[in-house]
Amino acid sequence: MEMKAVRNLRLCTKDCLCLYVCPTGASDTEDSVIDAQKCTGCGACAGACPSGAISMMPVRLPLQQEKDAEVISRMNVLLESLVRREAMADKLSSDADPVLAKVAQAIRRSSRLSAEDIAREAGYMLPQSARAIGLLKELVDNPPTKDFPKASALALIRALEEM
Amino acid sequence: MTYICSICGYVYDEEAAGIPFAALPEDWTCPRCGAEKAMFDPDGKEEAPAKAEAGGQVQTPVQLSPRALSAIFSNLARGAQKQYHPQEEALFMEISDYFLSLSPAEECNAGDLHSLVSSDLAGIYQECEEAAVKAADRGALRARLWSQKVSRIVESVLSRYEREGGRLLEGKNVYVCSVCGFVFTGTQAPEICPVCKVPAWKFDMIS
Ligand code: SF4
Ligand code: SF4
Ligand SMILES: [Zn+2]
Ligand SMILES: [Zn+2]
Repeated sequence: MEMKAVRNLRLCTKDCLCLYVCPTGASDTEDSVIDAQKCTGCGACAGACPSGAISMMPVRLPLQQEKDAEVISRMNVLLESLVRREAMADKLSSDADPVLAKVAQAIRRSSRLSAEDIAREAGYMLPQSARAIGLLKELVDNPPTKDFPKASALALIRALEEM
Repeated sequence: MTYICSICGYVYDEEAAGIPFAALPEDWTCPRCGAEKAMFDPDGKEEAPAKAEAGGQVQTPVQLSPRALSAIFSNLARGAQKQYHPQEEALFMEISDYFLSLSPAEECNAGDLHSLVSSDLAGIYQECEEAAVKAADRGALRARLWSQKVSRIVESVLSRYEREGGRLLEGKNVYVCSVCGFVFTGTQAPEICPVCKVPAWKFDMIS
C-alpha cells in the first residue's frame, strides 16, 4: 500500500529527529507540513519522532463501511433533533440573562458536535466516499437556492475524486 | 486479485501466477526484495474499483433540513482537516455555512430546550440503539452512547439552571469537550473527558 507521512502540528515539539532520519528532506519545510512530493513513505520519521506527531497514512483509503438503512434512518431522526437543539440554543445564546446565554452557547456547540458525530455514523464518515460525493453532485444538479456555492461544490467533487 | 509488497512495491498477480496468494507457503518471500509474505498487502484498488459501490445507491438529501445538511458538511470538513487537506476543509465549510444561512431561527425559551432534550432521552436514543444492535453496528452504538451521555449532562445543566439561575456559574466557567460535546461547569476543565476520555486540552472554554 502506498503511504505518506503526515505531521500533527499540535503534537510536534520541534525536536527535529525527523529531519535527521528523512532520506529525502521531505520533513524539513518552512510551514512544517511534510512535502508529499518528496515523501517516499519509508516511515523512518514516524518511528523516530519522540512525540508521536507523525502518522503514516495510506494514499488511498479503504472504502467506507456499508451502513444499514434502518440505522441511517434512525440516526437521521436523531440528527434532526440535535440540530433543532442547536437552533434553540442559538436563539437562547443571545438571551438577556448572561448565565443562560453562556450555557446556551455551550449547548449550541455541544449539539453541533453531537450532530456531526451522528452524521458520521449515519454514513458520512469519509469526505472522499461515494456517498459524500453523491450528495454534492445531487446538490449541484438541484441547488436548493440560486446562492448555492456551485463552483465550490464542483471544485470539491473534482478534488475528492482524485483522492 | 493482486497483492503488493509493502517494502519494494512488487506486485503479485494471482491470475498471472496461477496460484492464489493465500495458498503460497508461509516461508514464501518476495522475489524482488525477500520480504516475508506478511509484508504484502492486498491491492484495495483492484479489489473494489467502483467507488460507487460503497453505500450503494446514494440517498436523496431532500428530506434533510438545511441545518442537518450543515452538520453533515461541517463533519466532512473535519474529516478533511484530520487528513490534512485544508483546501477541501474550507470548501466543505463554505457549503456548511451556506446551509446554516438557510436555517430558520427557532423561537423558544429555556424550558422548550429542556423538553426537547428530555424527549430525545425518552425515545430516539433507544430506537437508535435497537437498530444499531440489530445491524451489529458498533460505530453507531458508540456515537449514540456518547450523544446520549452528553444529552444527559445537557439536561442536568438545564435543570440546575432552572433551580439555581444566576448562581449556576458563580465563580465557574463553562467548558465543552471539542470531541464529544460534553458540557462541564467548574473552575477548570476536567483532566479527562468523562464521556470520550480525551485529555483536558481538548476542552474549550466558553467565553
Ligand atoms: S521528530 Fe516529531 S516532534 Fe520532532 S520535529 Fe519531527 S515531527 Fe516534530
Ligand atoms: S516517510 Fe520517509 S520520506 Fe516520508 S517524510 Fe518520513 S522519513 Fe521522509
Ligand atoms: Zn459522573
Ligand atoms: Zn469528550
